[in-house]
Formats: sequence, structure tokens, C-alpha cells
Amino acid sequence: MMGREAALALLDKALGYSKAQETDIFLGAQDLGLSRFAGGAIHQNVAHSDVTLNIRSVTGKRLGRATTNDLSDAGVQKAMELAHQNAMLMPEDPAFNGLPDPSDAANVDSWDESTAQCSPKARAQIVRGICLQGKEHNLNVSGACRTGVQEIAVVSSRGTRAYHAGTFAGLIINTMSETSAGWAKGGSWRLSDLDTEALGKEAVSKAVAGRNPVAIEPGRYPVVLDTYAVDDILEALSLYGMGAQAVQEGRSWMNDFIGPQGSLGTQAMSPAVTIWDEGSSSHGWPVPFDAEGVPRQRVDIITKGVVNTPVHNSYTAGKEGTVSTGHQENFTGPPVASNLFMLEGDSSLEQLIGSTERGIYITRFFYTRVAHSKGCVMTGMTRDGTFMIENGQITHPVKDLRFTQSYVEALAAVEHVGSESKLILNEVGFATRVPALKLSSFNFTGVTV
Amino acid sequence: MPLDDLISRALDLAAVKGAAYCDVRMVETHQERFVVRTGVVDTLSNDESLGIGVRVLVNGSWGFASTNLVSPIEVDQITSLAVEIAKASAHSSNGPVSLGPPVTSRGVYTTPVQTDPFTISPQAKLELLLQADRQMGAVKGISARTGNLVFIKEHKTFANSEGAHVEQTIYESGGGIMATARGNGEVQRRSYPQSMRQQGCAGWEFVAAMDLAGNAERVATEAVALLSADQCPSGVTTLIVGASQLGLQIHESCGHAIELDRVLGSEAAYAGTSFLTTDKLNNFQYGSEHVNVTADSVRLPGLGSYGWDDEGVPAQSTPVVQNGRFVGYLTSRETASGLGLPPNGSMRASSWNRIPLIRMTNVSLEPGNWKLDDLIADTDDGIYMEMNRSWSIDDRRFNFQFGTEVGYEIKHGKLGKLLKNSTYTGITPEFWNSCDAVCNEDSWTMWGIPNCGKGQPGQIGHTGHGAAPARFRDIQVGVMT
Repeated sequence: MMGREAALALLDKALGYSKAQETDIFLGAQDLGLSRFAGGAIHQNVAHSDVTLNIRSVTGKRLGRATTNDLSDAGVQKAMELAHQNAMLMPEDPAFNGLPDPSDAANVDSWDESTAQCSPKARAQIVRGICLQGKEHNLNVSGACRTGVQEIAVVSSRGTRAYHAGTFAGLIINTMSETSAGWAKGGSWRLSDLDTEALGKEAVSKAVAGRNPVAIEPGRYPVVLDTYAVDDILEALSLYGMGAQAVQEGRSWMNDFIGPQGSLGTQAMSPAVTIWDEGSSSHGWPVPFDAEGVPRQRVDIITKGVVNTPVHNSYTAGKEGTVSTGHQENFTGPPVASNLFMLEGDSSLEQLIGSTERGIYITRFFYTRVAHSKGCVMTGMTRDGTFMIENGQITHPVKDLRFTQSYVEALAAVEHVGSESKLILNEVGFATRVPALKLSSFNFTGVTV
Repeated sequence: MPLDDLISRALDLAAVKGAAYCDVRMVETHQERFVVRTGVVDTLSNDESLGIGVRVLVNGSWGFASTNLVSPIEVDQITSLAVEIAKASAHSSNGPVSLGPPVTSRGVYTTPVQTDPFTISPQAKLELLLQADRQMGAVKGISARTGNLVFIKEHKTFANSEGAHVEQTIYESGGGIMATARGNGEVQRRSYPQSMRQQGCAGWEFVAAMDLAGNAERVATEAVALLSADQCPSGVTTLIVGASQLGLQIHESCGHAIELDRVLGSEAAYAGTSFLTTDKLNNFQYGSEHVNVTADSVRLPGLGSYGWDDEGVPAQSTPVVQNGRFVGYLTSRETASGLGLPPNGSMRASSWNRIPLIRMTNVSLEPGNWKLDDLIADTDDGIYMEMNRSWSIDDRRFNFQFGTEVGYEIKHGKLGKLLKNSTYTGITPEFWNSCDAVCNEDSWTMWGIPNCGKGQPGQIGHTGHGAAPARFRDIQVGVMT
């Protein structure tokens, strides 16, 4: 780990090498420890440490880039020179309005010393406990336990000067019998937030209950989606349309619902659905500013089913004469809504299942890909615990199903929303906090062997 | 300190600290990226990465640590950390890892290129994309257009405690364009040479031969035409899969399924397992007699081409499916040893900070005997689909569904009307057993897939897939809401 002083000193020194009109540098650093297990034992166990400088060099309406992890004077100077040379090669971009102005981001607490100091031995003990839980039920247990430190910093010639360090912890568990599988996933910036025993029980219970599944006919069924499946829906809606670049290029699912600038859009989803992005919330994956150093703003994307607005970086915002919402997730690429929340309702998971006369309870989706951008039509499989609901009760496991379904229409079919939300934190920092959902209809188009 | 001395230092320290085996990889990568979006240069970037990774076996268990700070003190630290991690792994172990016979490869390999892509000016590369962009932009109805070029030079040194020491310089060059049209309540796209981009282990000549500008107007015109095309019908029919789409079909339904680490459960919690369990080796009809698949790491310009894998095992060719029968896996030293097989050099890491995993090399469908025109002429009723738009497959690699950018009706031996939103779905062995014809070398291309995800922490692999169009009978098509 570098620490605030060293990180900012490095960036200040690097900035001093710039010959450009404007320059900003985004530092990303990670110290990661990850213990991977399969067959009830650790089979891969790794650590890495890396610091990358991402440089943007601006001359007029030209912007060049370079990245390096060579932190020597020569390495940094070379990258700075390459970024400048690249800028000089660029044709002018009339829509480029320069780097964003400096703005103070709120301090966000996401540091936990014990998580930062978690040893390989401590991770191995967690893994051992989980594997023993599976062994008691004759299940093959696999997964990954990771802990680490993430640092980001931005310094610019316009005066931006921001640093943040946070810790992270994640655990995924997959349990398998000859005929069934279960799943659980936990994530937080504090390892102690993860109830590893409870996560183990959750994964074990699904695999035990899922033994000897029965194939059912594909078709439309009401469904109850566990939080992991809801996370997949929000991730897809984000990646395929909640960013302003996709909207501006006319390839977002939001294009069919969004209003003229400054006005509300139309009803796309059930009034029970409210979704927003809030990077600085301590209930999510708190990161106070983006890769441009812009504070992450709360953006209300869907309110009671009505489409409001996508998220912006400084470039897409400049095109519309507005300001960035702080959603430049990575050094390159479009703006991304990466800290999503869905408003909870008032039904327990048991009530969601109890309200279903005949339907399917789904733990999670797997390998989902957009089949058509219009409506965000996705195809994918159910996985790790799929069950039939009859007369308000889970009656038997079913074989995994393929679906082909518009995720926008899926959220239009929401009847009830779970009262408890869960933070789902994926490996690269994308996070959602979502409740379980009851949908009146979901389109299954195939069944696996 | 010379880099080789740093490597020796890590090997020596690991031995002192009790490692029965150690390997060290030092990797330096230089990448140039160009992206043009609708008339604007979105990205012109040079990306450099250097680091070192140390992998050890202590008490029969694995440990790995890595750093971007390539200095004696850091090398000592990561070597010690790798040993500490391996000792922790031993607390949750199923028994000692066996690597089989020692690997003692020595040598130097460089991707053969006609023109080093880094000797071509950035201006020339940009102009190539801007020219293609202008051609696409001249077509009425296009709402967005993109083009991208990527050039990579990776210098890698590998050494192990058994005496291996190999040095490799791998070049990759790639590029592609895409036009998006919006109208008639539809959004449609067309790409060239394939979705995202075509990429190979080759020099500038690989990109120059694509003629992106020469294909740009056609691509844009086809995207606009798709807006008013008929919807792909739903039903069971004869399907001819184009070469580019078939490359991805091979990747998903064959390439991943033959990774022995998946078969043995190492990837169960993430990417999944495989239906090609070890009892099926030499004992399972994966496809019809027309299906012959080879995994090959010496078949340029495939993206899975190199001199040695990241365990120092020499690159080689492995039969996977012969006349439809399943005969071979992609293996590591550890997994091959478990089956009593020699390793076939399929272990690759995406960078210095990742451990090697079993990755596809160039997993290719060998060409058949048909000319494409003859195959279409021989098909009375069916659909021709080409260029991937979406892909999904289950965790055991059985149930798949693909969408393609274009489809064409086939009626009485001729290509007919254009179809939009074309999709097909099936079960892997049923699909490949329904193959009754594969086209010949005239329409066989080595496709590059530069975005294959696997492992935790995540790794992006680069794989090659040779394919020619092939015909499949009784396939479910037209799966949309």
C-alpha cells in the first residue's frame, strides 16, 4: 500500500513532468490476497500488488493518453511524453471541453484495518470452515475468499487533488452434489461484516434441497428472484444503457423511455421499482470520486418505474451542457452506473414465495448476455438452486432453464418487492444493493440436460 | 541488477525457504490502442506494464505472489510471501500436488512478423480508422460507428527450479469496425471482420490486409438494411453457420469443455465445469464423422500461438475430436499428471500478476470438402447465420444460445431475403452430431478472440479458432421474445 502522502507526492512529481496545457493523472493501486478452493481444499492461492498511473494530456481540444506501472522517474517521464505526443497526433474534437474543474468529494469511510491486514492463514481458516460444512452433507465445495486494499488518487493541473483508500472483502461459495448445486455470496469493505458460517449454510441448504431436480417445460412462469438474480438484472441494465454514451448513440434501452433534456421520461417499469446510483453511500461500495476526480453524485435513474436520466462523465455531460455526475468508472470507456441501489418493499422472501400460486424460485442467473439492445433483451441460464413453487410453497427442485427475456419488461412485471436488501459486490468493484423480487411473468425458452 | 539475476535470486530464495518447486515469470507488455467513435478519436493510448510473479510448491501446496516493483528487495518479499501463502494452502489441502516429469525447456521464441506494428506511425494507424469511419458515416441512417486497433508486444522470461529458462516475444495485431443503425423501432449493427475486432499473432500486415475502409460502406449499408428486414422465423430447420460465428461456437461449446481444470472442478464456482468428464475420453461421440477438432499452439496467426506455455512446456498440436470421437483435453502439468498423460502446453497467464491457467490455444475445426456455394446450392430450405451478436452457454457447456448480426433465408439452394435478430439454440453434442458438412480451406479462417474471461482474480485470455462454414440439421432457430 502507498498511503496518501506517497501517492499524492508521486502524482505531484509526475505532474511536474508535463509540458501540456492541461494534464490529469489517475492513480489506481491494489493489494489483493485471494484464496480459491475446489473439491474442499485450496487449490489456488495468490497475492498481487500493483500501482498504475493513467495520464491524460490535453492540448486545446486534443486529448492523449498513456498508462504505466513503472514508477521510476524515467518510467513516469516516458509515459508523460507519450501521452503528450498522442494528444498532438489527435484531430481536434469540438465536443471536448477540457478536463473537469476541481471539486471536493465527501470523505467516505471504507477502511478497516483488520481487513487490510488479513493473512493468508486467516483466509485459509475461513475456507476450511466452509469446506467442513459442505463435507457434513457430502457436497463438493468450491469458491473464493478475497481481501485487500484499493487506493485511488487524482491530481490535475486544474487543481484536482483527491485520494481515497478502502478495504474490501468477498466470499463466494458453490456447493455441488451429483445432481444439484447451491450458491452464496457476501461482500463488504469489512471482512467482519461477512457471516461466513451463514453464507456456508445458505449454499449448503440450496444444494441439499436441490437434489434430483425435475425437468419442466419452458414457457412463461411467475418467478421469485433471489437477490443474486436481481443483481444480474441491474448490472445488465447498467451496462447496456444507464450510461449517457449509450443514450447519446441511440443504442440504450433508455432511448425508448427517456424524456427531452430536463424533463421526466415515461413509465418503463412497475411503480414498485425505484433505482438509483450512489457511489458515496456507506451502504454500498463507497468510492467518493471517479477516475476524473469528480465526486460521485447520487443519480435517480428510475423513480417509481419512470425513467429519469443516465449517468455522465465530463465528456458526455459537456455534450449536453451539463456537469459530470462522477461516473467515469475506469480510465477509458464510457460512464457507468456502478453503485446501484433498488428501493426495498415490504414483503419477506417467504411472503414473496407464499404469494405465488405456481411459479419458479431462482437463486441466480449465469452467463447472461444481451440478445437485443432494444428493451435490454437478455439470454442466460438459471443456476445453483432453481425450485418449483406450488400453492405458495417450494415443492421440488427443477433442472436449470434458459431464458430469453427483456429485463425492462421483467421489471415492468414486478408485483412485490422484498423488504430486505443485500449488498452484492463483484470482483471489479461493481456493486448493487438489491432486494428479492416477485415477477408476474418471465420467459423461459429452453432447458438444459 | 540484471533481470536474469533477479530471477535466479527468487529461485534460490524459494529453495532456501523450503519450496520443492518454484517458477518465476517476468513480463513486460507494451500496448497501443486506438478507438474512433463517430468521427471522433475517442482513445489514443500507450499502455506499459512490467512485473514479476513467483509461484511455489511448499508442502505439496501452491502459493503465488507478484509485484510491479522489480527490485531485489521486492523480489525477496514476494518470494517469501509466496512461500507463506503456500504454507497456508497446505492447511486446507487434499494431498500434495504432483507435476509429473520435470520441464527443462530452454530457448528463445519470437512471433514471426513481416512488419513490426510498432514501426508504423500512429498517424497512419489513426488515418486507417478515420477513413473507415468516413466511409461508414457516408451511409444514411447510421446512428453510431466505431473502429478500433490494438497492437501488443509482450516480452516474457520464464524460469523454473527444474532448469527451464525460456524467453519469448509475442506480437499481436488486431482491428475492427462496427456500424449501428437506429430506426423503424429497431437498433441493428454490423461489424467487420468480426464482432469487436479480428486479432492475431502477427504484424502490421495482418491489419493492413483487412481493408477496413474498403468494407466500411458495405457494413454500414447492411446495418441500415437490417432495420427493415424480416424477423428471423421461429422453428426447427437446417442451419449453415458462417465461419466467424462458428469460431465462437467452437470456443464456447468445445474449447471450454475440453479444459481439464474445468473437468476436474477447479473452476466450478465461477466459470463452471464440463460435461466432457474423464470417463468420456476416447469413449464419446462428441460430433458427427465430419467433425475434426485440433488444439494447436503453433498455428499462426492464431492468438494461441507461442513457443512455450507459462509452465515452460513446448507449444504443440493436440487432436481433440477425430471423426466425431472425443480424444483429447487441454492440460496443465498438474492435471495431466493426474490422468497419467503428458502435458500439452496449454497453461497461460494473462499477465505477470496472475497464475497460469489452462487456456485455449488455437482450437480449430479442421476444414472439410465443400465449397460454400455448393453447400448453399445443396440446401433446399434453411437459414445462413453469420457474425456473433450474443452468446451464452450453461455452466457444463451443454445448453447454448447464440445470436448473430445477420441471417439469410435459404430457399431451393439460393440465399434469399435478409433476416434480423437471428438466433439459434441447442445442446452441444446434439448440435455437433447434426453436422453433415464442413466447408473447405477456401473459406477457412483463423479467428482471434481477445476477450476470454476465466479465473479469480479474473484473467482475459487470447485464443484462436480456425473455422469454415458448416451445415447443421434440425436446429432450433428464432428464439426471441
